[in-house]
Amino acid sequence: MKLLARYNRVTLMTTVIIMLLTGIAYYQAISWTFTRQKDKDLTDEETEIYEYVNLNHRLPEIFETEHQQVSFTKINIGPVKRVFVDTTYFKIWGKNNPKRQQFHAIGGYEPARGLITSVIIGHQYYKASIIHSKVETEDLIQIIFSITIGVILLLLIILFATNRFILNRLWKPFYNLMQELDLFNITDKNIIPKIDTSIDEFKRLNNSVANMSNKAKRDYQTLKTFTENAAHELNTPIAIINSKLDLLIQTENFSEWQGKLLTELYGGVLRLNRLNQSLLLLVKIENQLMDEHQHINLHELIEGMIIQFDDIYNDKGLKLTYKLDKKEIFASRYLMEILLSNLIINAIRHNYTGGEIIISLTAENFIIQNTGNDEPLNKEEIFIRFHKSSGSEGSGLGLTISRQICENFNFLLDYRFHSPYHAFIVTFPNQV
Amino acid sequence: MKILIIEDEQSLRESIEEYFKGTGNICETASDYSTALEKINLYRYDCILLDITLPGGNGINLLKNLKENNHSDGILIISARNSLDDRLEGLDLGADDYLVKPFHLSELRSRITAITRRKTFNGNGSNVLTINEISIDLTGKEVKIKNQDVKLTPKEYALLLYFIANKGKVVSKNAIAEHLWGDGVDITDDFNFIYAHIKNIRKKLMEAGGKDYIRAAYGMGYKFTG
Repeated sequence: MKLLARYNRVTLMTTVIIMLLTGIAYYQAISWTFTRQKDKDLTDEETEIYEYVNLNHRLPEIFETEHQQVSFTKINIGPVKRVFVDTTYFKIWGKNNPKRQQFHAIGGYEPARGLITSVIIGHQYYKASIIHSKVETEDLIQIIFSITIGVILLLLIILFATNRFILNRLWKPFYNLMQELDLFNITDKNIIPKIDTSIDEFKRLNNSVANMSNKAKRDYQTLKTFTENAAHELNTPIAIINSKLDLLIQTENFSEWQGKLLTELYGGVLRLNRLNQSLLLLVKIENQLMDEHQHINLHELIEGMIIQFDDIYNDKGLKLTYKLDKKEIFASRYLMEILLSNLIINAIRHNYTGGEIIISLTAENFIIQNTGNDEPLNKEEIFIRFHKSSGSEGSGLGLTISRQICENFNFLLDYRFHSPYHAFIVTFPNQV
Repeated sequence: MKILIIEDEQSLRESIEEYFKGTGNICETASDYSTALEKINLYRYDCILLDITLPGGNGINLLKNLKENNHSDGILIISARNSLDDRLEGLDLGADDYLVKPFHLSELRSRITAITRRKTFNGNGSNVLTINEISIDLTGKEVKIKNQDVKLTPKEYALLLYFIANKGKVVSKNAIAEHLWGDGVDITDDFNFIYAHIKNIRKKLMEAGGKDYIRAAYGMGYKFTG
């Protein structure tokens, strides 16, 4: 749920509730005031009746004005309790009142306020009821209530509209910033830009985010430089070990056992070297230092590699079939060679003796399939640095490098398993 | 062969010197920029091994100096940085080859041999290499024994040349694999396929009437005895 929607919901609900409460309070207050007013009128009327009775010692004429009915009833017991009541008032409509036609009646009931009291003439008690119609006050209250409802509705509409328009505009810097964050990539050079806003909170957010991203980039850069330097520094000792081993084997008086040890030493140095070269290569690709792009006939390159490796897969008794369409790409030849040889060597290494490799190249993609362990690989893990399948003698960086190379050229490297084939698919971008 | 080794890392310099010494080669060394500059201006060499990063100056400047003075010494750049820019710059300036550290001494020797061979060939026009009864036409990439053709695959041919360049030295399987498949190729499985190539070369040479020159050395490599 959007903040704006939630904010709208809360403000609108509170507004409506407050307006309704106000309306009710308003109604109660007006209603109470009018009732008091009516009661006062009724008391005045009562006083008039008393004065008349005191003066004339008889009941006044029963009269009925527009909104007032006074009636007297003889009662035999003592005086009735003086009380104000809410009652109804039977209003007789005028002869020409259209309501007569409409309701087929001579009048209708209207809400009223009455005062029941008693008068005494001699020893005779009379119950006097004075009734005043409240229809005018009711009308007034109704008008007030309608106005209140109208104002509520108007307010709702205005609130809704302003919230929508103003807040959308108000939050725009925030959304812009979010977009920048989505695009943020620690490896590239783009920084989070200053966002044009006069709102302090957003300025602060912008600053914090910019600082954080700069710091992350700086740290990442430091780490990368460290890796690069470390790998470079490692080159020299590896070169020394390598050359000393080359010299050592020239001395020639070795037992089989010593020969085996030396072979293993060579193997270790080789792996160390590969690992180091891979790290250097990764740093270089990430730094985009391989910019010397050229047009490459991919089918020729692949064909050349298949010939290059023919002794290796033949040695393992692998059956290699391939179908290559013509395809030219614009990329670094060096990196493409690494990518392809990584994938082909993987297909050979993780195969079983007498297995199969199928290579296909179309305008859309390059697919290499190989038989091997009949279990799908974990797609999430295989591209992670130093992830190795058990028994693999590789550096654990081959697929990481492959993926990095693909990203560098906007290719997509994907893995699928269709028993019995493990397939690595390089999808080319739409090159016009 | 007269070789100048310009390399600041003492240990590595000594290894190279040791490997090249003794088979009719004369090695001189320089460990910093000024010594190297002095030597390249005083003496001529068949091949100069040039490290790019040197104390006291950049090896590229030594290369420029050589070219400005029209010296025709063979130049092999050895650098710790596998940077394409360095490689291109070096080759553009007239270096004959470029080798990235770490390398096998046998690979270095094979490269130097190729450079000096090319230099001599440019001088006199004959480009046939003769080792006892084996003669190799380096231009046509043909191998003959007593005028009989020996049909070698491209890899077998490359391997034979590699062995001949490192005649009398034990060449490790690792060095062979790197030479044949490139150092970017991450094959650390058993080097069975090398054995197959060696077996084929021996068979083909002997069938053509050659001697058996290649011997296995303690399971870690091979040696061409000439």
